[in-house]
Amino acid sequence: MASLITCPHCGRRPKEEFSIRGDAVPERPEAAASEEAWHAYVYLRENPRGAIREYWHHVAGCRRWLVVERDNLTHEVFAVTDAREAATGDAA
Amino acid sequence: MSIPFTHRHILEDRMSGYEPSPNANHLTVLRRPVIFSALAHAGHEASVAEALSLVENIVVRSVSPSDWLLVSQNAEAGAIAASLGAVPGLSFAEQSDGQVLMAVSGPDVRKILAKCVAVDLHADAFAEGESAPMMICRVAGNLARTGTDTFEILVPRSYAGYVFDELREAGREYAMTRGFGE
Repeated sequence: MASLITCPHCGRRPKEEFSIRGDAVPERPEAAASEEAWHAYVYLRENPRGAIREYWHHVAGCRRWLVVERDNLTHEVFAVTDAREAATGDAA
Repeated sequence: MSIPFTHRHILEDRMSGYEPSPNANHLTVLRRPVIFSALAHAGHEASVAEALSLVENIVVRSVSPSDWLLVSQNAEAGAIAASLGAVPGLSFAEQSDGQVLMAVSGPDVRKILAKCVAVDLHADAFAEGESAPMMICRVAGNLARTGTDTFEILVPRSYAGYVFDELREAGREYAMTRGFGE
């Protein structure tokens, strides 16, 4: 796994400072969406090889949620953005 | 009946038998610093950061874009709370009893800290006056550079004993002494 993550707020940090929540790709459906849509959102995950997007929490640092784009094959990290910025486009 | 409370530092027991005269490398545990945590409301981050830099007698330690720790060694908690209360868009809480402040200094301080911190502390990467939250001996704390060879560590009180022991072990090789300071 990528061992150094460049947090947009804290700089280059070891991965031990983070906690990984998981896949950042699924989008939360509307509250009234079909059961199939909710089932897919809650339970179904792709298991890709290569570039992935994940939510990481910088627990021991700025305590902010980040979106880490990395490659689970080569361990390369492509981008790290604040989750709020990733969701809304605004800088936090 | 009123109960008189006496202040007893969490590291008091670990200090027994400490060296009477400090060496070049020294770990100072600050006895009673005043510490506040401060959080800016959404949309007020920049104005609160500016207002905090103007509050007298405090040092601002950055945690995140909207989150700070404020440290003071020469002001009363009440006076600081009064000036913080005047800042719009700011929530704050006193943490003086929740955090322990330690200062490490000496020519080998970076070699000592290199055993506990996985962040580059070269002056080009972590300049004087900078502070950042990071893992210190596997504990989430805050490290600040207060001088070329002096650093200050803030850790939660319940972890302070462990961090203190780890720092003492890391400093043994460099004959680091330890003691209380005001």
